[in-house]
Amino acid sequence: MQNSNDLKSYLELLSKAGADKAQCTLNKRRLFEINVESDEISLLRTTYNQELNLNVIRNQARGNININQITDSAVKKAARQAVRIAESSQPDEAHDISPGPLNKKFEKGPDREDRNKMYELLAEFLHQVQQKYPLINLEQVNFRFYNNNRQLSNTNNVYLSEQKSFYTFSTMFMAKKGDQTSSFNHTRFSSLNLQEGLLKKGSIAQLLAQSEKQIKTKSIPEKFTGDIIITPDCLSDFINMYINISLRDNPLIEGTSMFADQLEQKAADSKFTLYSRPVDPDTAGGYFITGDGFLSENAVIFKNGVLKRFLLSQYGANKTGREMSNNRGGAYVVEPGEMTRNKIIKTVDRGLLVARFSGGSPNQNGDFSGIAKNSFYIEKGQIKYPVAETMISGNLKNIFNNIGAISNKRINFGDDILPWILTTGITISGGN
Amino acid sequence: MKEINLKKYKKHFKGYTELRLQENKQVNISFVNGSNKNNIQDSSAGVSARVNQNGAWGFASTPGTSRNDVKNIINEAQKNASFLARRKKTKKELNKKYNGRGDWDYSTAKPRLSQKELVQFMQKLDNHIEQKYTKLKSRSLFLNTLDMEKRLLTSESQVSYSLFPRSFIYVKLSTEKNGEKFEITDSFGGLGHFEDNFSEPADLYSEINELYNHLMKKREGVYAEAGSCECILDSELAGILAHEAFGHTVEADLVKSGSVAETYMNKKVAAPAVSMIDYANKAFGETCPVPVHVDDEGIQARDTVIIEDGILKSYMHNRETAREFDAEPTGHGRAFSFSDEPLIRMRNTAILPGEHTLSEMISSIEDGYYLIRPSNGQADSTSEFMFGIILGYKIKNGKLGRAIRDTTISGVAVDVLQSVSMISDDITWISSGMCGKKQSIPVGLGGPAVKCRVNLGGR
Repeated sequence: MQNSNDLKSYLELLSKAGADKAQCTLNKRRLFEINVESDEISLLRTTYNQELNLNVIRNQARGNININQITDSAVKKAARQAVRIAESSQPDEAHDISPGPLNKKFEKGPDREDRNKMYELLAEFLHQVQQKYPLINLEQVNFRFYNNNRQLSNTNNVYLSEQKSFYTFSTMFMAKKGDQTSSFNHTRFSSLNLQEGLLKKGSIAQLLAQSEKQIKTKSIPEKFTGDIIITPDCLSDFINMYINISLRDNPLIEGTSMFADQLEQKAADSKFTLYSRPVDPDTAGGYFITGDGFLSENAVIFKNGVLKRFLLSQYGANKTGREMSNNRGGAYVVEPGEMTRNKIIKTVDRGLLVARFSGGSPNQNGDFSGIAKNSFYIEKGQIKYPVAETMISGNLKNIFNNIGAISNKRINFGDDILPWILTTGITISGGN
Repeated sequence: MKEINLKKYKKHFKGYTELRLQENKQVNISFVNGSNKNNIQDSSAGVSARVNQNGAWGFASTPGTSRNDVKNIINEAQKNASFLARRKKTKKELNKKYNGRGDWDYSTAKPRLSQKELVQFMQKLDNHIEQKYTKLKSRSLFLNTLDMEKRLLTSESQVSYSLFPRSFIYVKLSTEKNGEKFEITDSFGGLGHFEDNFSEPADLYSEINELYNHLMKKREGVYAEAGSCECILDSELAGILAHEAFGHTVEADLVKSGSVAETYMNKKVAAPAVSMIDYANKAFGETCPVPVHVDDEGIQARDTVIIEDGILKSYMHNRETAREFDAEPTGHGRAFSFSDEPLIRMRNTAILPGEHTLSEMISSIEDGYYLIRPSNGQADSTSEFMFGIILGYKIKNGKLGRAIRDTTISGVAVDVLQSVSMISDDITWISSGMCGKKQSIPVGLGGPAVKCRVNLGGR
């Protein structure tokens, strides 16, 4: 097990090789996984890996090398090569490493997996699904335990260490009756412990029940502009799309972000408040250290519709002249609303309950289109039938600015905590 | 990759065992608006063992390659398999033996460029774009090279070896009009080291000029009209239709899980003009973009005829599903990294060329679209698919019209393939993307242009 002294010696190697500034990150990962394929427990997998990243700045040009064969001679060779890579790069004043001095250690999660318990819970889950949802075929289940150790040190006298372990469960499934098949659906959750049955977690039971109703689907009567209710599973995709095209390094450096000039301005409906909480003690996973060596923090991204921060790295901030963020997204929590989900459905004159979105990447203006999968047609406040081949088109800005209601109940995925959201003005079209 | 004699570990095998030594090496260089954002070398190497006991699989991997590391990882895979086998109610032995073997090395014979020369190549390309195309709002260039080197020993076979390199330059151009942003991307490269795919930046100038012209037309583009319509899917889209929309539904693990193709064997799934093959390593007299000779289960790779004259002829198998379906495996068990287990994956999936020219096909459409480039694609167990479209044109009265803005197409693959009425007489491969199915892996997608009906997203 490498320790802070090893990292220190790697930094010395880099300095000797010619680095002006250097940062080393050592990741050690152990994964334990039980796999289900076609309703049967099929594979037990353990993997060990380690990655050493040597990040060098020389004459303001940066070079990076990643290796996983970490012997003395391999590290010496990699250190020389990292400096050579920096020498081959073009200089950029924006390159830097995190400032020190700083010395912090973090720990979260159990030391080891309880593999017998994992197996028992999974076997119980398979049995329960077979009993309660006889039409469901479990295409794949991955039940995992991650044990990750990450150490970061740099020539500014920074040493940060993060020991993190957690369970994740993801499943992909479909319903089948005779020769008819529903669309597949999937969901997941993460957890720091194994206290309760898997079927009770996240949205699993709800989605399995929905899939059994989605074997026979129907086309919508005609193309129309209507409302959609986005489910918590699906909301996670929309939030990520919104953030990725507007708040991160690349769109802001390229100058293509639609929110480049909208910090502290209204960029979403006033009902929408979005937090990112990677360092919450209850968040499974999350991160205490950012990729570029800063202490992470929880943050509010949208407060009552007002954009509160960009998610810029040190490089992105230096490049754009904006403030760096110690929060890089993830572990998203949306503030709940006041209406029940059923009450929200009753307010919809014509629209869809969208449980999964299969779409193209949105363009830089936020325009998107894609198929509403595993979704239901709503008319006059009632869910009518599961839809076939139904396309939804709109703009992400409109989605988040035209929020009609947010549900009071949320799904806790172990990292994200998300509600149902009603939004308006979506073009809905079928294959007819 | 470190040289290890895998054969000496065969004495530690108990039951069916795979022992794989693998190294993936990558180079990533990016320029964003002229700034050299990244310049990275990455190497990930290690050993994995996969063991089958009574139908239960155990897998273990480690980056360590010492004698003890390898012995320990075989032992851990055996323990993992035993853990499941003890709890399994039904026993299913892998009783049929296969003996794939051989060495394949696609390395360049040319002298290798240094990292500095690669950076200079990218910078020269970036300078050219900056100087020539002043209407651009932003530009991003990204070089990715991947060398995948594997050595495999199974309890049934001799050691096989492969070195598969690929290299791609991705170009993204953006512009603005009236405050609205427009973007277009393309990729250049394919199988082989950088030196085999690129010699001078100037060799790419005409293709980049074409890309820029498309962007300028897209800037003046219109929204597609939502609904069902007649389209020509150009080769890139036909390739993704073959792979994503239909190919995934006939991977035998998905068939087992209930994909709609379960009841389609030997039935009509496409128009009679449609044939589709997943090629192992050679097609139309040339090496495919992702050549597979022996897969990661030690099976000698062969072509798989999926659709012949519109009739479904075969699923794609690994050892296990081949036994269950009483079929022969043809080499689809593939893993991306040393720490990944082999899964059923496509290799080079293509719709075969027909007899029409593209211009004849465009002339035949009164009101429809010519769709050229996908951004991404997803498929479903029902064979319903979705592709993002980032480049396309309207067709009116047999002539190309205005460019369209980004949109999405969807359809049910079997319906769309049945609606195919014309197929062009050429074929183009794309292989710059990765296919995601638990792990990402390189795949080749090939196609002529096809005329068919799909649903279009839009306004």
